[in-house]
Amino acid sequence: MKTGKGGLFQKEENFAALLVAPALLVLILTTTFPLVYLIWNSFQNINLAMPFMNSFAGFDNYVQMMSDPNFWHSLELTAIYTISSVALQVVIGLGLALLVMQIPRGQGVFRVVAILPIVLAPVVVGLFWRTLMLAPNFGLIDFAVKALGLGAVNWLGAPTPALISVIMIHTWQWTPFAFLVFLASLASLPVDVYEAARIDRANAVKRFIHITLPLIRPALVIVMIMRSMIALSAFAAIFAATRGGPGTATEILNLYAYRTSFVELNFGYGSALAVALLVITLAVSSVLFAMRTARVR
Amino acid sequence: MALNPHKAARLRRNAVLYVAAAILLLIWVVPIAWAVVVSLKTESEVLAYPPQIVFHPTLENYRDALTGSFSILSSFVTSLILSSATTVLTILLAIPAAYAFARLRLPAKKPLGFYTLVTQMIPPIGLIIPYFLILNKIGWLDSYQGLIVVFLTFSLPFAIWLMVSYMEDIPREMEEAAFLDKANRFQTLWHIILPQVRGGIAVTVIFVFLNAWNEFLFSVQLSGNHVRPVTVAMYNFVSVEQTLWAKLAAAALVAMLPMIVIGVAAQKQIVKGLTIGAVKGGGRR
Repeated sequence: MKTGKGGLFQKEENFAALLVAPALLVLILTTTFPLVYLIWNSFQNINLAMPFMNSFAGFDNYVQMMSDPNFWHSLELTAIYTISSVALQVVIGLGLALLVMQIPRGQGVFRVVAILPIVLAPVVVGLFWRTLMLAPNFGLIDFAVKALGLGAVNWLGAPTPALISVIMIHTWQWTPFAFLVFLASLASLPVDVYEAARIDRANAVKRFIHITLPLIRPALVIVMIMRSMIALSAFAAIFAATRGGPGTATEILNLYAYRTSFVELNFGYGSALAVALLVITLAVSSVLFAMRTARVR
Repeated sequence: MALNPHKAARLRRNAVLYVAAAILLLIWVVPIAWAVVVSLKTESEVLAYPPQIVFHPTLENYRDALTGSFSILSSFVTSLILSSATTVLTILLAIPAAYAFARLRLPAKKPLGFYTLVTQMIPPIGLIIPYFLILNKIGWLDSYQGLIVVFLTFSLPFAIWLMVSYMEDIPREMEEAAFLDKANRFQTLWHIILPQVRGGIAVTVIFVFLNAWNEFLFSVQLSGNHVRPVTVAMYNFVSVEQTLWAKLAAAALVAMLPMIVIGVAAQKQIVKGLTIGAVKGGGRR
């Protein structure tokens, strides 16, 4: 090879190290260092409202967490929110992609429309839904539901409807993502496999289960991974629509850690809650990644 | 000549498909279209019951959102500065790193690549808490440099991985030919590799800019009166002016206009970026 010619960086390893060094240095400083500080803080009593009480806490914050009903409640909401919104995105997104694949012309319109929710800021989406869509009487959906005689629903003001609403908002914004990925994935499938199946007289359902599904499995799993990560850390749309309320009815762990830190100014316990979310996120992603690399059957 | 039964059945089937698809499409169109409609109303028309479809459209709200009492122009400029600076820094750091990861022999490549991937999975709440304390200590709250540093935490790992997948697709023969021409490694990267991944750079720029523009959690806690991006301005607007929805809709649409324009204009690139992420893994969106 061309080693040893024209200076130190002609050697491949040296050159490569030089190229990654700045990025890795920035990553260590901007992500790993704060993360270590977070973990350190989770073993401290840090209350900005009572700075004179700050001290080393050992595992106190974690012990407190285990007996904190708010923590378990927020964990339950996180599970409901993540599982239902990811499942809805995958099912609706895949269904819509299969439908649009059948359309001979006009797929482009669907692609453009699908881009719009994705590029909007989640906080704006949350604000639009809270005011223009779900507000009592004047919101479009509330008006439509009442006009159809389906009764009055307190969309964001009562616990269960509020939870359903924030799941609906998240699903509305991110289903187009799943749809676009599945559409691209379906479009790249080999046609001859289908033709062989058609000659074998396999019906549409059989073709879907035995041919399409295994072929798009990688895309399916990756969409689940990416969407789960985002759902676990969802913040802006919920914050804008309900602020975690009414009460704590939509306060997933992410928002609970936020409120503990920035409203109650209890940074020690807030850090411990954030560490819990970090552990959950890494656990979920490693399980899903294992699914991705696992052999079929 | 009458349609043969086969063709008629196909037409019927297509009609059903189009109707079904159109109904589903409306679910995504209606909320956005309604925001546009509301932005063209007066506040009293917005609060008319039942909601009015027929009204005299006015651009008054847009005038207010741009130059009037509810101007978001300064926030708009702030977002522009933040997002551009984040994008430039990210690209400058990510491209060389991605090239090394994709193409060169690098000691400890696997663990370093895995490390980059994991940094991308840190929930933002796990970073905002330490960052608030750190930036507070060094006086960087409500500053451009503070927010840009924080934005790098999600843009850089994402950009590296996106660029790696583009770099991997370049045919190796091109580099080898360059080496035979006695080009050094810097020249190869600059003259051979970069022109090949222009498309990938465009996709990365779009995603990084978009994610920075739309960011809210870091912004709401680390910004202030001096540096206030559009997402925070929108949120504050609703907290203060609970019922001025027409003004909200107009201001929000102005704030989101660059994203909508980018989304429609670069639709192909965005879909490509999404799918590359989906095939090779990674990506915060």
